[in-house]
Amino acid sequence: MSAGFWEILALLVLVGTGIAVVRLQNAVHAALALIANFLVVAGVYVALEARFVAMVQIIVYAGAIVVLFLFVIMLLSAASANVGADFLPRLPWVAGLGALALAGVLTFAVTRFQPPAGAPALGGGLPQALGPLLYDPEKWLYALLVVGFLLLVATVAAVVLIEPERIIAATGHPAHPRQEKKPNPPIAEQKDERAVVKR
Amino acid sequence: MVFVSLLLAGIALGADPTPAADPNATDPLWMVGVKAFLVIFGLLTAFAYMTLIERRLLARIQIRQGPNRVGPDGLLQPLADAIKSIFKEDLVVARADKVVFVLAPMISVTFAVLTFGLIPFGPKDAFFGYDPWVINLDVGLLYVFAVSEMAIYGIFLAGWASNSKYSLLGSLRSSASLISYELALGISLLAPVVLVGSLNLQNIVNWQHENGWLILYMLPAFAIFLLTSMAEAARTPFDLPEAEQELVGGYSTEYSSIKWALFQMAEYIHLITAAALIPTLFLGGWRMPGFMEQLPVIGGLFALPYVWMFAKIALFLFFFIWVRGTLFRLRYDQLMVFSWGRLFPLALAWFMVAALVVAYKLPVAILGWLSLLSLVAFSVYVILTSKPKPRALPRMGAGD
Repeated sequence: MSAGFWEILALLVLVGTGIAVVRLQNAVHAALALIANFLVVAGVYVALEARFVAMVQIIVYAGAIVVLFLFVIMLLSAASANVGADFLPRLPWVAGLGALALAGVLTFAVTRFQPPAGAPALGGGLPQALGPLLYDPEKWLYALLVVGFLLLVATVAAVVLIEPERIIAATGHPAHPRQEKKPNPPIAEQKDERAVVKR
Repeated sequence: MVFVSLLLAGIALGADPTPAADPNATDPLWMVGVKAFLVIFGLLTAFAYMTLIERRLLARIQIRQGPNRVGPDGLLQPLADAIKSIFKEDLVVARADKVVFVLAPMISVTFAVLTFGLIPFGPKDAFFGYDPWVINLDVGLLYVFAVSEMAIYGIFLAGWASNSKYSLLGSLRSSASLISYELALGISLLAPVVLVGSLNLQNIVNWQHENGWLILYMLPAFAIFLLTSMAEAARTPFDLPEAEQELVGGYSTEYSSIKWALFQMAEYIHLITAAALIPTLFLGGWRMPGFMEQLPVIGGLFALPYVWMFAKIALFLFFFIWVRGTLFRLRYDQLMVFSWGRLFPLALAWFMVAALVVAYKLPVAILGWLSLLSLVAFSVYVILTSKPKPRALPRMGAGD
């Protein structure tokens, strides 16, 4: 396996942006470096003719997930978080060792990798080839359903956490017993009030 | 700065290493570069003249003249505007994050320009022996989503980097609304994709040539896609970024000169791209209506390349301007409720209907009848829920 110009460039940019994500002091800059990293990963996928995976990489990771990161960073104004005390003083060392171990395992895996004989060709990772495999009950259908259910549970949990008042109104008992605040009127009622005032 | 972002976009468009779906269909790389340049140049010109056409049309709707002084009928107005915005003072806020502040408009324009190259403008070899599109991706629609998601970052980072509360609030609002409408937009397109069985724009156009325009089968999906793409381009019912009363100038409050113009440019290019995508997906693309091809003389006479595509683009651009002249802006909560509470469930329901029809191999005409039914149901709903005209309200002064 020979590494050409583009492979080395991709490797350098990937490692550089990865280091930037960890080392940049400003969280928004780190998120930008993360976007760059994801875009280069998508480019590597394209070069490997896995176009579907490349697009999903951009849509899900570079798009949705980093946008969420940025929302959290901006709403909490945590762009340059300076908490004073370093709560995990040995974290860089442990993380560095972990990264080295991971790099070793990955190098070993990549150099020893043999594609299994008779593996299905996925046609450049096209959706037409991926779909039947993903939704095949003998392959990955149940795994997919389990993942989907997990995400549903997480969504319901998030709704319960942010809107305890509606849960009380719907079920009759409080999800968080300590909160006894008067619930905000729903949006529909607010609208009506405003209309009455105007007239 | 314009040139840097254009160069980036050109490189990204021209040097896309993805081979076309058909291996013997690729153009030489230099030709792809030339076409990418043409697309970008055309988009910039179209942006400049869209501003003029929009102002003139809005003026007509509002019974006034509009800009008609610079050149004949104001035709040189875009040039004057460009010179003005280039020579205005280019401010950078002292407490701003300088790098991100400069980067944000470039990100906006770059990702706005990237989509248009996908759109086919004619049959193969129609462009002087070359293909009339820049790239032909087999995952074309996913690419459209990917690029339009990345375009949010321009707005988002502009608001944050300006270090001003109006900018930050404006950018949070508009990026939240963009993300919400992105969801309904994606799901509304799933139904046609499932029906056609391909993400490639050219396959979609060819399918429509064989089976009839998708708008006949997919009226709800078309309506949702039309609304959400207006929201993606921040057009009038959804133009929160420009809610002057509440947010000053939204995310671009602190921007001036060419940087501000770049944001405007990105917005209009999104609009033009939407006006080209909608006919490609739902109105037969570059082909003329099927029944006209059957007619003896007219069928041959009007089989001009490009003309139909440009006519359809112009139709939708006019529609967008017309809507801007007619409707008023939604409030922020109305905007969010409309996306999450109306469009999203509707798109999901229609997708499931289409998936059922495809999965059980029912005749496609069922979707056509259901589309008609949904149109009737929507009309009845509008008639039943519209309030009677209020009589004898006291006049409270102009406007509200």
